Amino acid sequence: MNTTVKLTSSSIKMFVRNRQAVFFTLFVPIIIMTIFGLIGFDSVAKIDVGLVTGTPSPPTQQFVDRLQGISAFDVTMGNEPDERRALEQGDRSVVFVIPDALMPAGESQPVQQTVKALVNVGEQQQAQTAISVVRQVLDKTNLAVVGAPELFAVATEEVNSRNLKYIDFLLPGIVALAIMQMSVFSTAFIFVDYKEKGILKRLLATPMKPYQFVTANVVTRLLVAVVQAVILIAVGVFAFKAHVIGSLWLLLPAVVLGGIMFLGLGFAISGVARTVEAVPAIANLVVFPMLFLGGTFFPLEIMPTWLQGIVQYLPLTYLSDALREVMRNGGGWAAINYDLAWMTAWSVVLVSLANLTFGFEEKRV
Amino acid sequence: MPDIITVQNLTKQYGDFTAVDGINFSVRQGETFGILGPNGAGKTTTLEMVEGLKQITNGSAVLDGHDVKTEPRMVKSLIGVQLQASSFFDGLNLKELVETFAALYGRTVDALALLREVQLEEKRKSQVKELSGGQKQRLSIAMALVNDPKVLFLDEPTTGLDPQARRNLWELIESIKAKGKTIVLTTHYMEEAEVLCDRVAIMDHAKIIALDTPINLIKQSGVGSTLEFHVDRAVALELVWALPGVDRVTNADHGFTMLTTDPEQTLPALFNLEQRERFKLYNLQLRQATLEDVFLKSTGHSLRE
Repeated sequence: MNTTVKLTSSSIKMFVRNRQAVFFTLFVPIIIMTIFGLIGFDSVAKIDVGLVTGTPSPPTQQFVDRLQGISAFDVTMGNEPDERRALEQGDRSVVFVIPDALMPAGESQPVQQTVKALVNVGEQQQAQTAISVVRQVLDKTNLAVVGAPELFAVATEEVNSRNLKYIDFLLPGIVALAIMQMSVFSTAFIFVDYKEKGILKRLLATPMKPYQFVTANVVTRLLVAVVQAVILIAVGVFAFKAHVIGSLWLLLPAVVLGGIMFLGLGFAISGVARTVEAVPAIANLVVFPMLFLGGTFFPLEIMPTWLQGIVQYLPLTYLSDALREVMRNGGGWAAINYDLAWMTAWSVVLVSLANLTFGFEEKRV
Repeated sequence: MPDIITVQNLTKQYGDFTAVDGINFSVRQGETFGILGPNGAGKTTTLEMVEGLKQITNGSAVLDGHDVKTEPRMVKSLIGVQLQASSFFDGLNLKELVETFAALYGRTVDALALLREVQLEEKRKSQVKELSGGQKQRLSIAMALVNDPKVLFLDEPTTGLDPQARRNLWELIESIKAKGKTIVLTTHYMEEAEVLCDRVAIMDHAKIIALDTPINLIKQSGVGSTLEFHVDRAVALELVWALPGVDRVTNADHGFTMLTTDPEQTLPALFNLEQRERFKLYNLQLRQATLEDVFLKSTGHSLRE
């Protein structure tokens, strides 16, 4: 049987039977997806509102109850000093001080009442939103009291459009992250282990050519990357209701190119690391910044401009961007060829680096 | 028997350090050739140059007509190699491992038959990490046999094994030898070299200092055998001194210790003396000189230090 084919099938068996590799390849990305999916960055944060009341009259109490029922508010009741302190500590966006007899009771001529709003200067926007909501409620009450008819109404209708949620942003990032982690760590750990245990040397004692063994391992990991992408996308779509709009086939070149790029990095690291213990230190040094800055969890646009200028060139950024263009935005070739070109360039750089650092033979004096 | 390996002026230099210093030897087809020496003598480096694993700084090694320098891949396909402390992939069972290694030679093998040969057939479903030290060494020999090699190289095959496992491995090596394979092994156990090897090269400080059959090495070294005995009554020291072949005698009370270069002459003469002088011999012991003694004599230091 052809040497490379047999080596590949053996290498696949070894990968699949390696529990640690499978754990990091599939379960860790799914766990990360679950955690970030559950945090749910979609729901707009509620506005922290403090209400200060004394002993409100029954109509005023009704008004307070209505405010408490507003879903956009996270209402805390308290006395004025306490709420002021909370405001100063930044725990409230705004505090309303409500007079006991705010709402007119009985037939008596209403007297103008004042609701005092204490505004957290640092959260002007939230405070103003809350104030306008409160003002609206008061206006309505005002109209009801003077008996004026409501002239305007807004009817809301829910339309299920391409309702992009955070998970749709997250899923391509997770796929990219998973491919990076698998490619870098499984290669670096395993090849340094082979080197340390003398397995590579033992292989050199056979007529096999080193490229055959490397090819077998690269093919194995590229297959794993594809399987990884398919499983993670399936989990995202079925468990987290993510939307995948673009062509799945178009993901293939991005996944494979991303795999080659990061396998190059993995081999480069296994050339540098002398012991298995050194692998996580070196690998994390390279991988960690990309993990947070490579457009996995949040868009580059929220970073300061100078940082964007750097992180846009990270290998992971191109991979997550390409996957996102296709999966979330339904982009075609035209949308990703820029990313693919950059990934090709990175692949050339990293594979050349691997060629420099990595060898089968022990480098002895 | 014709030579299957010819090594001439083989040298390995690491910077200023000479690991192997211009050694010459040849290995005959079908023999078991041992390279004996202490750690750091250059045994492994020698082996790895001949195996095509290490660059040859100077000199040449030719195996079955192929120069290792110019045809390393050809040489590798003809030999089987057991490295010192070689381990194998996790995640494959023994049968799969043997088949994978056979593929490295572009071959397919009957993995079970090969495992049976090294008594590991019942372990075919196990992984390497589940094997004992002796089993690992046997597996490693099986791996070295996947390509039905012309020469089998074993680098310290029994180092670190308990005596039982060591004897077990010796039997395996003898059985491979019985099938006509040429075997080259390194060891720092004298006993191992004496038991297994047809010829032994003694290496020390990067050079071969002696090369012959174990028997000849012992004989030529002039290191004698030691003869110890007790007698039942006082015997004059001069009478014992006068026996043929005797080099040196010491006695304390009725106990004698003597060194002889020719025990075949000394012993019968001793028995004659016993008859003539009417004393009785007790606790007669003859200790043959060993390669250990030869090594000590030729290098001035002991093998393990």
